[in-house]
Amino acid sequence: MLENYLPVLIFICVGLLVGTVMIALGFVLAPHKPDSEKLSPYECGFEAFEDARMKFDVRYYLVAILFIIFDLEIAFLFPWAIVLKDIGLFGFLAMLVFLGILVVGFVYEWKKGALEWE
Amino acid sequence: MNFPLPNFLPALPEIFLLTMACVVLLVDLFLTDRSRGATYILAMASLLGVCVLIALSFSHSRILTFSDTFVRDPMADALKMGIMIAAMVSFLYAKDYLREHGMFKGEFYILGLFGVLGMMILVSAHNFLTVYLGLELLSLCMYAMVAMQRDSAIASEAAMKYFVLGAIASGMLLYGMSILYGVTGTLDLGLINERLPNVQDKILLSFGMVFLIVGIAFKLGAVPFHMWVPDVYEGAPTAVTLYLAAAPKLAAFAMLMRLLVDGMASLHGQWQDILILLAVASMAIGNIIAIAQANLKRLLAYSAISHVGYLLLGVLTGTTEGYAASMFYALTYVLMTLGAFGMIMLMSRQGFEADRLEDFKGLNERSPWFAFIMMILMFSMAGVPPFLGFWAKLSVLQALVQSTGLLWLAITAVVFSIIGAFYYLRVIKMMYFDKAEDSSALIASNDMRVVLSANGLLVLGLGLYPGLLLAFCLATIVSP
Amino acid sequence: MIDWVITTLGHLPVVVRTVILIALFLIPLMLSVAYLTYAERKIIGAMQVRMGPNRVGFFGFSLWGLGQPIADAVKLMFKEIIIPTGANKYLFIISPILSIAPALAAWAVIPFDKGVVFADINAGLLYVLAVTSIGVYGVIIAGWASNSKYALLGAMRSAAQIVAYEIAMGFALVGVLMAAGSLNLGEIVAAQKGNIGHWFVWPLLPLFVVYFISGVAETNRAPFDVAEGESEIVAGFHVEYSGMAFAVFFLAEYANMILISGLASILFLGGWLSPLAGWDAATTLPLIGPILDSGVHWLLIKISFFLFVFLWLRATFPRYRYDQIMRLGWKVFIPITIVWLIVVGIAVLAKLPPWWGA
Repeated sequence: MLENYLPVLIFICVGLLVGTVMIALGFVLAPHKPDSEKLSPYECGFEAFEDARMKFDVRYYLVAILFIIFDLEIAFLFPWAIVLKDIGLFGFLAMLVFLGILVVGFVYEWKKGALEWE
Repeated sequence: MNFPLPNFLPALPEIFLLTMACVVLLVDLFLTDRSRGATYILAMASLLGVCVLIALSFSHSRILTFSDTFVRDPMADALKMGIMIAAMVSFLYAKDYLREHGMFKGEFYILGLFGVLGMMILVSAHNFLTVYLGLELLSLCMYAMVAMQRDSAIASEAAMKYFVLGAIASGMLLYGMSILYGVTGTLDLGLINERLPNVQDKILLSFGMVFLIVGIAFKLGAVPFHMWVPDVYEGAPTAVTLYLAAAPKLAAFAMLMRLLVDGMASLHGQWQDILILLAVASMAIGNIIAIAQANLKRLLAYSAISHVGYLLLGVLTGTTEGYAASMFYALTYVLMTLGAFGMIMLMSRQGFEADRLEDFKGLNERSPWFAFIMMILMFSMAGVPPFLGFWAKLSVLQALVQSTGLLWLAITAVVFSIIGAFYYLRVIKMMYFDKAEDSSALIASNDMRVVLSANGLLVLGLGLYPGLLLAFCLATIVSP
Repeated sequence: MIDWVITTLGHLPVVVRTVILIALFLIPLMLSVAYLTYAERKIIGAMQVRMGPNRVGFFGFSLWGLGQPIADAVKLMFKEIIIPTGANKYLFIISPILSIAPALAAWAVIPFDKGVVFADINAGLLYVLAVTSIGVYGVIIAGWASNSKYALLGAMRSAAQIVAYEIAMGFALVGVLMAAGSLNLGEIVAAQKGNIGHWFVWPLLPLFVVYFISGVAETNRAPFDVAEGESEIVAGFHVEYSGMAFAVFFLAEYANMILISGLASILFLGGWLSPLAGWDAATTLPLIGPILDSGVHWLLIKISFFLFVFLWLRATFPRYRYDQIMRLGWKVFIPITIVWLIVVGIAVLAKLPPWWGA
């Protein structure tokens, strides 16, 4: 059972290795002649005049929170979907109730404008 | 795989409330601010509906359902009725206050309804998971309600404190639960009670029990886990303070009963000592610090802490009479606290919070009737006969002395109650003997006047016939 | 010769054998990524009545510009990797690796033919979902570590967009799970056994459309490429990257496109199954019979088709505005998928033939 997962682990390691080797190759083969102009962050030809890690729109947080909620719902749906044929109508109806409550929340956030991005 | 269909009937009130809460939420979305009153009416109707449903199917025995995670017994039904009434009264008191302070939003009622649902689940819990589910549903609603006044720094601070401390308490509770699950191998409260005497590892068992009690004490607001109570009571908008000071106390009492009596009755000897400690500390700290308060909401917060101490006295006896006395005390306290916060909301108006003690100066000149109601409430809280609060204290002490013989504890309780009487009586003195700083007449809608008067008179009336409520409580507690 | 290779491989320790097999798979994959960029330029060129790259060839012959991707790779390899001042050096270097590793690692559970898969695990789809969502870290970390406003903006946009479409994608996958009753990708294909009519694309058509469009959005491809948006935030999260570090991001994006195409083929179009499967008159024909029968070539054809659609979309549609993207994800796809999940649930319980019938 667990040995089935060994190729997965190896594949992940190889994937990391490929990325590392390619970047290392870039460092080894390419020239390295930094100067202060070259190293300054790109800002349409201006000198950067404030910290780049600036404030950004709070709606990104809102999207993140909504994502967590919905993704959790999906995580709950996964095992249910696999055994749907076995648990029959009762299981289906139980999940309908769950989805119903989810939809109520969805309608709420929709009407409240949480999904608007002007 | 075929699942046996669980018996949904015992949980019908909860299912109804959940459906209604979702309906209220959806309806409220499509209302304009001017027709927001419909949300209020719908919320009240839902609570009333639940009340009727429970009354129609009032249980006479213990029914377990949902694989024994949910219990319906007379105590649960009685407490749920109490919660419904308390929530309805607090919604009613809150209505004008919310309008005046620009907080008349559907969310207050929706969160309120979901909070009530959490309390109902907590009251009917018969499994660690349902206890936790109900508790979190209730707590999350209350955190959000405290924070509803977003622009108020003090409310945000209160919400933050409440949230962080509440999360710690939940963590403690979960930790205790997981240890007890580890030593007994089950989450079912009834099974835990059966298996506890056979547990070999007594140290682990004590750890689990202590963590569990710490979690409960946090939620009850018992000393030394009371730090959040004054800040939250003071910081939250009064309408929210009213909501979270009243009904959740009944749910917390139920949680205490479910976890300690249903789940750990066989360890009574051990948790009794801890509860004695909590009770004495709560009565002492609550009553003494309350004296120094100039803010009525803060004063009532410390008063709540001390009342929790008295409430614990009944539970720690471990007898049916003690539990009934505690339940009597809890119901009494909720009735009094509803009235007291109702008075604050009655006196407040747009841009003015009547939450300082000075605001009550000379109330007798402004409105003799409501001064009288406030006097009844204060006397009752102080435990002066013949008001209801006196009988509640008396029955708790009676049960304590009769069944445990802890005379010193009873005497301590009486001493602190006398100390506590000072600050209640000071309010009465201010109302009747001090000069009013503000002589404008009280403005309140008729329904609030009627219900608040009824609330005060009920404290007096039930005090004249104290046997009624106590007998009711005794009848609902099925001996474990 | 081939027998000798197989027996030798069989004698090697399992780890070494797997590494060799993975390498044997990754080299063609990398080559197809390289030539996908060539195909992109050629196809879009043709659609816009241009020539596309046509100069670089081999040994003095131009060969329609077939040498272009190799030349590009060599050029990028010898370009300086600039790490801007104020950048968080380690995160700056780690983020491209975090981008490409998941795009490659997800292939571990993709079946190419019956039983031909690196890891035949039961949680296959869950693994794909888990690994691909790590990719978004690469983007966010790149945007943050660059210490550049454009990069930060691009990263935030990209993250919010990926996250929004991940939900629609997840719901679409739930539909597939309901239909197949398994998380194992091989079994999902097996559940679509039969001719073209048995594929899940028919009963799950709305979910299929949602899945593929979400896939386009998740890979930040046109018309959902506001994260790069070269005309407004220059290149988005990888504006500060150059040389090989940039190339790795580039490779990751194209590897993800191939992955999404492969998943769409497996989940909805029956993977390696032939559209004629089960029609014995055709599959037993001499000579072309094996070609018409199921096999890995059908999977490759389906993947190529989806890749062509990727390029076609890019050549056809103007870029969406950000609010339109978010609206499409939240307000269109999620309701569609929820409704269709219920429809699928009813169909599965009613044993609707030919997919779930006896």
